[in-house]
Amino acid sequence: MDVFTAAGFRDVRITHRYNCFAGTTKERTAQRYGVIGANVSAIRELA
Amino acid sequence: MAVTCPVDFDVASLRQEVRTIYARVAAAPDGDFHFHRGPHYATTMLGYDATELAALPADVTSSFAGVGNPHAIGPIPAGATVLDIGCGSGTDLLLAARRSGPTGRAIGVDMTEAMRRRVLQGAAESGLTHVDVRAGDATRLPVDTQSIDVVISNGVLNLVPEKERAVAEIARVMKPGGRVQIADIVIRETLPDSALRDIDLWTG
Repeated sequence: MDVFTAAGFRDVRITHRYNCFAGTTKERTAQRYGVIGANVSAIRELA
Repeated sequence: MAVTCPVDFDVASLRQEVRTIYARVAAAPDGDFHFHRGPHYATTMLGYDATELAALPADVTSSFAGVGNPHAIGPIPAGATVLDIGCGSGTDLLLAARRSGPTGRAIGVDMTEAMRRRVLQGAAESGLTHVDVRAGDATRLPVDTQSIDVVISNGVLNLVPEKERAVAEIARVMKPGGRVQIADIVIRETLPDSALRDIDLWTG
């Protein structure tokens, strides 16, 4: 998220979260590190 | 999201592995992969509209391998110029093209030739003449500066070790006031160095 702010974006936020690894062979690894899919929204700052 | 990778990480090998895996997804979407694919996954786990996906060619949606739903963030205005970074077989790109309409533009960038072919074929079958697909990667977008209204992407930036460069490229191509609506992998914990060096974990 910080990488977007630093690059000139504002209102950077996660809008949705998804357990996209559920039922895959990577599910346990994903749970171990707290890995999920997420929607991210941001607005390009005005010049 | 892990922003940095180890200094001596073999980025070229990772890029090649990503190309290899997603070429396999394009060729055989029903094959053995560590991640979900296809329209049933998109509708049941990511909230895509089943009717909208059914209206797209099966060759496009069968290879869908996103991790979220950029279209759930907000509407794409008619007439918008949309860029899909790492468009894959084109599910999100063609949905964006339908929303932006013939007065808009839908540009896809992907480094996998097999995926680019699939998008172009799917756009033709769908009668979407304002779809443009280009070879490239997230760190060097073949797109003019300040030309894009909406950037979408789905499960791509997590495959890019040079994330700061990729985000700088997004900033470069976007019009002031333009909107990013992407889906990607986020993590709760800082990954250990051993995990950062495991290409298999990068590519899923």
